Amino acid sequence: MSSLAELQARALKEIREAADLEGLKRVEQVYLGKKGELRQQLGQLSSLPKEERPAFGKAVNDCKLAISEALEERERELQAAELTARLSGEGFDPTEPGQPFETGTLHPISQITEELVDVFQGLGFSWLDGPEVEFEYYNFDALGIPGDHPARESHDTFWLKDGNVLRTHTSPVQIRAMERFGAPLSVIVPGRCFRNETVDASHEHTFYQMEGLMVGRDISVSHLVYTMKTCLREILKRDIEIRLRPGYFPFVEPGFELDVNCPFCGGIGSPDCKNCKVCKQSGWIEMLPCGMVHPDVLRSGGLDPEEWTGFAFGLGLQRLVMVRYGVNDIRDFTGGDLRFLRQFTRV
Amino acid sequence: MLISLNWLQRYVDLSGLSPEKIADDLTLTTAETEGIHPFGEALAQILVAKVIDCGPHPEADKLSVTKVDAGTGELLQIVCGAPNVAKGQTVPVILPGRRLPDGTKIKKGKLRGQVSHGMICSERELGLSDEHKGILVLDTDLAPGSPLTEAIPVRDVLIEIDNKSINHRPDLWGHYGFARELSAIYGRPLADPLLGRSLDLPQEGETLALSIDVPSEACPRYIGAIAHKIRIQSAPDWMRYLLIAVGQRPINNIVDLTNFLMLDLGQPMHAFDLHAIRGQRISVRFAKEGETMKTLDGEERVLEPSDLLICDAEGPVALAGIMGGENSMVSGDTQSLFLESANFHPATVRRSSARLGLRTDSSARFEKSLDPSLAEEAAKKFLSLLPEVSPGAILAGPLQDPSAWTYEPKRVHLRTERASRILGIQLEESKVRSILEPLGFELTKEDEKSFIVGIPSWRATKDIGIEEDLIEEIGRSYRYDNIPEKAPLRRVQAPYRDPELWTLRKIRHILAEDCAMNEVYNYSFLGDELCERLGLTDLPYAEVTNAIASHYTRLRRDLLPGLFGSMALNLGPQDQVALFECGKGYRPDQAGETRVDPETGQTRSLPQEVHQVVGLIASRKDKGAYSLLRGRLEHLLTRLGRPQFSSKLLQEAPPWMHPGRSASLHPPGDPDAPAFGSIGELHPRILQNLDLDLGEDQAAAFCLDLRSLLAVPEQPLSYRPVPKYPEQPVDLAFLAPEGLQVATLTKLLKEANPKLVQGVRLFEVYRGKGLPEGKKSLNFTVTLCSPKRTLEAKDEERYINRVRDLARELGAELRG
Repeated sequence: MSSLAELQARALKEIREAADLEGLKRVEQVYLGKKGELRQQLGQLSSLPKEERPAFGKAVNDCKLAISEALEERERELQAAELTARLSGEGFDPTEPGQPFETGTLHPISQITEELVDVFQGLGFSWLDGPEVEFEYYNFDALGIPGDHPARESHDTFWLKDGNVLRTHTSPVQIRAMERFGAPLSVIVPGRCFRNETVDASHEHTFYQMEGLMVGRDISVSHLVYTMKTCLREILKRDIEIRLRPGYFPFVEPGFELDVNCPFCGGIGSPDCKNCKVCKQSGWIEMLPCGMVHPDVLRSGGLDPEEWTGFAFGLGLQRLVMVRYGVNDIRDFTGGDLRFLRQFTRV
Repeated sequence: MLISLNWLQRYVDLSGLSPEKIADDLTLTTAETEGIHPFGEALAQILVAKVIDCGPHPEADKLSVTKVDAGTGELLQIVCGAPNVAKGQTVPVILPGRRLPDGTKIKKGKLRGQVSHGMICSERELGLSDEHKGILVLDTDLAPGSPLTEAIPVRDVLIEIDNKSINHRPDLWGHYGFARELSAIYGRPLADPLLGRSLDLPQEGETLALSIDVPSEACPRYIGAIAHKIRIQSAPDWMRYLLIAVGQRPINNIVDLTNFLMLDLGQPMHAFDLHAIRGQRISVRFAKEGETMKTLDGEERVLEPSDLLICDAEGPVALAGIMGGENSMVSGDTQSLFLESANFHPATVRRSSARLGLRTDSSARFEKSLDPSLAEEAAKKFLSLLPEVSPGAILAGPLQDPSAWTYEPKRVHLRTERASRILGIQLEESKVRSILEPLGFELTKEDEKSFIVGIPSWRATKDIGIEEDLIEEIGRSYRYDNIPEKAPLRRVQAPYRDPELWTLRKIRHILAEDCAMNEVYNYSFLGDELCERLGLTDLPYAEVTNAIASHYTRLRRDLLPGLFGSMALNLGPQDQVALFECGKGYRPDQAGETRVDPETGQTRSLPQEVHQVVGLIASRKDKGAYSLLRGRLEHLLTRLGRPQFSSKLLQEAPPWMHPGRSASLHPPGDPDAPAFGSIGELHPRILQNLDLDLGEDQAAAFCLDLRSLLAVPEQPLSYRPVPKYPEQPVDLAFLAPEGLQVATLTKLLKEANPKLVQGVRLFEVYRGKGLPEGKKSLNFTVTLCSPKRTLEAKDEERYINRVRDLARELGAELRG
């Protein structure tokens, strides 16, 4: 019996001293395993006198129970210690970046176009396109810019050998849209336009414009103000003030320049406005030309100006991107250099 | 254009209004102002001084040494080089440390040993004229030390007007027009342009034989007058100061007077030296072929029959409305002059001045369609000012005005209700009247709801012609910022969605986001150099007649050549590029939209514009570009609802595609239908021409024709239940002859047991070492699955045996 007591004491000591779960497993094997010491003890059972057997059996069993309990307890202790150790977070650097993977990018003009399309789509405008090589008629005459009109000069037109032109604005699609869809009508036309200009950091012969047109029974200047304000608020992502002032474009009457309160200083009355170089202390920046569709333009589109009125506007897309991201060279847009294009990763 | 507040003040009282307010109000109602510039500040730094003593310089003949009282409390010694300096004069003096108007800083100095505490100034040094023969002697009683601006009232405030914003307003090219606007804005009276001066014109007297030998449209009006006893000298101070302030250099009294009137009323005029006019006659005619004349800038001009000329009996004396001739200009000896105040056809002037590269203040104004009434008004004002400008001058004869020009006011119908409807406000009749009348419009009531509006001559030439023009006048004076915003009420309806545009948008996202490709934009122009390098010069291009630069004469037919340029550019900094572009190619050999001009009956057509999506992958290091790109293209087609298509070797490959390693893409099951795209390796010659050292399978490109792609019906997405029984993947390797296509084997693998085969995927193609010549190894994974039961080994065995037999018939050997 004394050897059992000694065995138990030895086992419990080793259990207490087991440093980890693996060590504990080994201790368990030594004492409770198939060839463990307790089994060996039990093997002696048959060599004992019959009357001693029950007591010995019980003693072995008690011993086994005691060891098992101690094992379980120690296991819990060790598991808890191990969890604590795993949670210590040693060797973890929260600033270490993840593994990069290949991605692509959309051209910034594509991105701004989509943004505009989404805003106007939400207001019920349809997204249209038109030919980039255009009849002289649609580009000029139908818009009230006949052959000797001085406005033609400022358009610096590329003429093709077949007598057609590279469209100088997206406005010809006003006529095409009216011819195709009639009225009422709400469309936007983002697209590529061309002017014969010498290219430098702020001038391009290829540029992107977005035309907008709304025609209805009683469309008025007050509708223009509402629509422009709503859209520009979405596009510029801030609450804005706008103002209209006279501006001349042959295909609108009355015609306006639309200004937005300066995004850099906040506009007149803000403390920074007195030093603002962007709006030159005026508090306003020129945003887009717009106006009420000229009755002759409605007629060109097959609509009766007594019955229908409308407004139109044009937005320069490169300029919008340039203002938003501070791009200072317009040539980057068509330069094709990925070191420029890959910076626009918002989409 | 600069407008001077002093000048405006002659016609309208602007007291109590700050320059900022005036500029703002002009911007919101009339024309864009670009800035406010104070003028003459520099002259306030210069002092009125008295020359107390003046004697010769001991060391230099041409210098004088003066003692000057500039109010500083001590006499200053100043060395002066002017011949006219004398004791007792009152002169302008600048002290050391201050700056002249041109920015020059004056320092205390020594001239030949004599200390000089500043400088006595000439008119040129003060920026007042070109006069530099001597110092300016002032006629003033002001105490020494007074600022010069008290003696010379040149201080002014200038408002800069954006010329573009008044291109459509011929009446705003002189100060009087702006004064008229301001008088309407502020409700203050407008003085008459002659400022009450009287003019006694002789009823008869000396004239020239004056004839307008062109249609009246080309020269609606030509007024002439003769004056004698002219003395060429300086113009009066007040006139010179106004001219200086707006940046017009004073020259002499007669030239200054014509310039003054141009800037005052907006009417360009020309004064000829009468004695240079040959044969006592002036005619207006078009130039003859090959005729030449020397303009007063000394240039010999070669003329064309579209150029309008002013001629005397022997030849041209002026290029009408643009510039006078050198032969007849006013000079220092001029004693008699012939004054021209005329009106010329805007487009004629514009075309000649553009062709000759000779844009002048005069041509810029005539281009705007000036009011012919103004010619008479300006002539009268010139003659009324002449006695003051050139004392003793005599008008020798009447105003000659041979054209029968009279202005019958244009009348426009105006409905108050229409104006309200377009502006979005409720207008009262009285409001309409109170806005339009101060601007010179004459309103007569036609009926309950409308007016007949008489248009003043200065707004009638091109500016105001229809009701909407008047509505604009009402709107701008009412002020657009007083118009409240209002949401348009419209029927709710889904906007039209253009299939091409919305598909392109989706394509862009798939290529950028899923396929990790980068979008670029190239010009629609195909650069000559690129075109030649790529050997593409012989194709039919739409050509530009007035190319921006000689290297951009053609419009691209296809997008890929441009994308090759982007590839070459980016393969420097990067080892590998994946690019795409969406855009249009222009095909003049394929007629697009056609239009018959209703007037000429002429038919024109536009080149066909093809919408292309192109992409490419190129790598300096690795092969496999084709497969990488094809995988992306297949993904794109799957996402576009067209996972199935057929392909075959590209026939009639464009010069940039590898003729033996390119495929054309066709609708599924119909490889003979027209292709909707192509994909392949790039032609080795193209790579070589681009100086790119890329070998086999290091660069591949695809091109999709959007319209053809959309014509391929979308394949319905059909749902298949998730299998209930396990799927059994089977790997099969074939040794196949090169001629046996993957598509054929794929079909075979499916047809070997259509019920059990759920999917067939090629996972490896191997050629080369270990294989017999002309053979390739194709490795597939076939997924077998039954909807009814778990497959057993014998099912797989049976399938493999069937495949083995079928493959053998095609000359392929199933290995293993």
